[in-house]
Amino acid sequence: MTRKRALIAAACFVLCLLVPLVVDQDYQLNVLFRITLFAGLGLAWNLVGGYAGQLSLGHAAFFGIGAYGLVLFNEKLGLPIWLAFVLGVVAAVGAALLIGRVAFRLRGPYFALSTIAFAEVLRISAKNLTSITGGDVGVQAPALFDTHPSQWFYVSAVLLTALAFTVTALIVRSRFGYWLQAIREDEDTAMACGIDAASTKLRVLAISAALTAIGGGLYASQFFFIVPDQVVGLEISNEIAIIAMLGGAGTLTGPLVGAVLLETATELFKSWFQEAHLLIYGVLIVLVVLFLPEGIVGTVARVWRRRKAGS
Amino acid sequence: MARVIRPSWLSRGVLFALLVGVACKADSKQAANTFRIGVVTSLTGSQAAFGQAHKNGYTVAIGELNAKGGVLGKQIELVYYDDQSKPDQAVQGVAKLVDQDHVPIILGAFSSENSRAMIPAVTAKKVPLIMPTATADNVMETGSPWVFRICAGSGGYASATIDFLKNNGAPKTMAIVYENTNFGQANAKSMKELAPAAGIEIIDDEAYQSNSPDYKALLQRVKAKEPEVVYFASYLLDATTLMRQSEQVGLNPKFVTSAGTGFAVAEFPTDKGAGKYAEYTLSVAQWVPSAKWAGSSEFDAAFTKLTGAHPAYHAMEAYAALLVAAEAINLGKSDQSAAIADALRKVKLDTPFGPVQFDAKGQNPHPLLVTQVQDAKYKVVWPADVAETKPVPTPAWADRK
Amino acid sequence: MEVKLWQAVQAILNGILTGALYSLIGMGMALIFGVMRIVNFAHGAFMMLGMYATWMLFERLHVNPYFGFLAAAAMLFVLGYATYQGLLRRIADRSDFMQILLTLGISLILTNGVQLIFGADYHQINFGLLDINVRLNSHVSLNLPWLLAFGITLVLGVGMFLVVMKSRLGRALRAIAQNRYAASLMGIDVMRIQALSFGMGLAAVGVAGGLLLPVFYLYPGAGDQFTLKAFVIVVLGGMGSIGGAAIAGVVLGIIENLTSLYWGNEWALVVDFIVFLLVLSLRPSGLFGSQRV
Repeated sequence: MTRKRALIAAACFVLCLLVPLVVDQDYQLNVLFRITLFAGLGLAWNLVGGYAGQLSLGHAAFFGIGAYGLVLFNEKLGLPIWLAFVLGVVAAVGAALLIGRVAFRLRGPYFALSTIAFAEVLRISAKNLTSITGGDVGVQAPALFDTHPSQWFYVSAVLLTALAFTVTALIVRSRFGYWLQAIREDEDTAMACGIDAASTKLRVLAISAALTAIGGGLYASQFFFIVPDQVVGLEISNEIAIIAMLGGAGTLTGPLVGAVLLETATELFKSWFQEAHLLIYGVLIVLVVLFLPEGIVGTVARVWRRRKAGS
Repeated sequence: MARVIRPSWLSRGVLFALLVGVACKADSKQAANTFRIGVVTSLTGSQAAFGQAHKNGYTVAIGELNAKGGVLGKQIELVYYDDQSKPDQAVQGVAKLVDQDHVPIILGAFSSENSRAMIPAVTAKKVPLIMPTATADNVMETGSPWVFRICAGSGGYASATIDFLKNNGAPKTMAIVYENTNFGQANAKSMKELAPAAGIEIIDDEAYQSNSPDYKALLQRVKAKEPEVVYFASYLLDATTLMRQSEQVGLNPKFVTSAGTGFAVAEFPTDKGAGKYAEYTLSVAQWVPSAKWAGSSEFDAAFTKLTGAHPAYHAMEAYAALLVAAEAINLGKSDQSAAIADALRKVKLDTPFGPVQFDAKGQNPHPLLVTQVQDAKYKVVWPADVAETKPVPTPAWADRK
Repeated sequence: MEVKLWQAVQAILNGILTGALYSLIGMGMALIFGVMRIVNFAHGAFMMLGMYATWMLFERLHVNPYFGFLAAAAMLFVLGYATYQGLLRRIADRSDFMQILLTLGISLILTNGVQLIFGADYHQINFGLLDINVRLNSHVSLNLPWLLAFGITLVLGVGMFLVVMKSRLGRALRAIAQNRYAASLMGIDVMRIQALSFGMGLAAVGVAGGLLLPVFYLYPGAGDQFTLKAFVIVVLGGMGSIGGAAIAGVVLGIIENLTSLYWGNEWALVVDFIVFLLVLSLRPSGLFGSQRV
């Protein structure tokens, strides 16, 4: 990325950080938090799903480990909040290495299904092991911020997204990034060229898991209270994947665009369509898949390139 | 290659501005001529059927209240927020209703976990919350002064059942069968805590995955332990499956008891539920249409007219919650949250749901009824002073006609 | 001790009966995935449609579901064919991701559409047949509706197997599953056959829905739990192997019931997924499959 673009990106993020000066209502900050958080989660997923081409539908596992890690390390082991937070992230990385070792031996849809299986095993176990996780009755999450929490959570989400963005940008331009994309395009050929596919995939999953787990910890603390279906649910995995894909998997800004559009659309649909909003959401997904397969950013990029070339 | 494209920077900026604008839009104030009350419930998602029951209950209530002039001279307007059966959405609902719609009081949610999730938010925003149907005990354990619960909790279900058992044969062993969700786990927990003190030993603890087609293996396990009592915590669908398959497996405890809900709704003893397999089951009900409280049958009639089906107690709880809210607003003569909360503590209202008065913790000590299905109808059999009839011993499946 | 043995026998027999329905659902998925490599996340939603269709026939026209399921199957066949031609074929050459997303979107549309039309409320059907239990001895009894479902599934399963193995259509299906490009070179109208097999796969799941209706109940989300189970079955049996899916379905039913009996019902799903992961890591081609994973 050129310096100019990097500066523009930085400026955008700084602008986002300043938003709480203008917006102070909790509802709006919560909506912005959710949008920004999912943008960050989408970026994290994008590393694995977009650049490495491994369709993971089980990222909620890492999200949930980050969430429950924060709560359990703090609550059950009495560790200070920020340490618990970090340990949650570490646990997610550990899980990623475990899951990756098994799942990455599989290709295509088998990989996706195996990630779903892992996430579901975690979710149901969290539900059943009530003495450890509180089960479905839920556990209270510790507060990361005591004053003006809505604003600080939003700021944290922006920082997380900025981090994910930076990491992605750095990776994409590096050799590591080229390996990822080579694996995506044709794994066998990549291996024939000497790329250690297994280790590369594991590493990118670990990075992705770490970022996702940070998001999970933030989310848990923001909503004060978590239950398994909420943080390790299939819906979260799907939502993250859809955001990245809608916006444009394998592009740098795709997940950002996807998060903004999808989350905004969801809130709007709820007030416009009431009970029909999920139906409209489904229609939207179908339309995007049929007509905008490269996602919005991907399609825009293609049109832009064609115009530039065609003129 | 990195596809960092100019247009998407611009578009991102535009989108962002758009979204901030959208989020800031519709910052509506209380209209001059209606009084807005916020409602969070599950209009979509897995609990949609119950959210709809809530909505119908509120609709009957609002019709009656507005016909009598509303509150403080204004017609009541309910502002609904659909929490999609998800706790984080319920929290979001609080933010929206308070920050954007400026409601001074919120009713909801349906489920215990959604309601529990809302508590820190309403406490921080200092808005009173009346919970119509959240029965888990952890909902009342936060100590927040802004929380009020109309219904009895799972601890109440357990103690009502235990009371009945102690006075009707005093069985010694019990198996608990419950779904592995909040509702089931909360009720199982309450029963596990209260039973030993009454001399009942919990000899089996069976959690199940709800909405499974086949529970026969689970029921076989229970049967093998030979409990005198089985305590179910299930919704209607599983209640039906469990009773049907109890017969197939030949599970014959002396008492089939339950934590209300599935075993206490209108459909359970009918063809739309377990039908004849529901016979003799005992349940705890927050309310039944034949309850002796004044207005019960009128509510039943009005609800049936509105929806074509009889109300379960969830609808009644919603109805009563709105009645109580209106009463508090009128009593406090104010549209400010703090005044309404204070007034709620002073409310003493006779409703078709029974007398409502909140204690110091915000709990309404709602008396629970123990019912038994006799001749496909719910008959109140406990406590003795309001019982319609005596309980009947439960014959084995093979001995039933 | 003897009682314990009979308990296990009962659990296994019940598992076989439940497993038969799983088999049907799995065979439908095996057809769709094996032939078209489509990861059909709307499988359960279509099954739910089959259940609603059977239910409506029962409620309005008093058609016994054990006949009504045929109509449900026919309807789903047509719907499947149309869905393929209208939606899925357009993305036939795109990535798996797109297909998954498309079927996810379809699933949302179906589930929420049904909820809007019929309401979120549960429905159930009831008639005398459902109460009959066949007693094998004092310890083992089998519920008649499940036995009927088993019988019908057996017949249909065998029929499906024969079609796939012996008929011209079946040969075309297997050819496409082996190598789509080569099949088209052989003169097979790939698109049309794929549409037909999607229709067939959904018809199978429609039958399963119709047979499940009497012993289960109806609500918009009724099919959701079966989508993932279908994947487990297909993987267990070996991708693309219809016979494998049939056996895997029964095996899964047995595993679930034994888990319920010895460990606890709440872990049955977890065991499903663990089996899934074990098979994927240790023997990815499944019990009977031969496709590369």
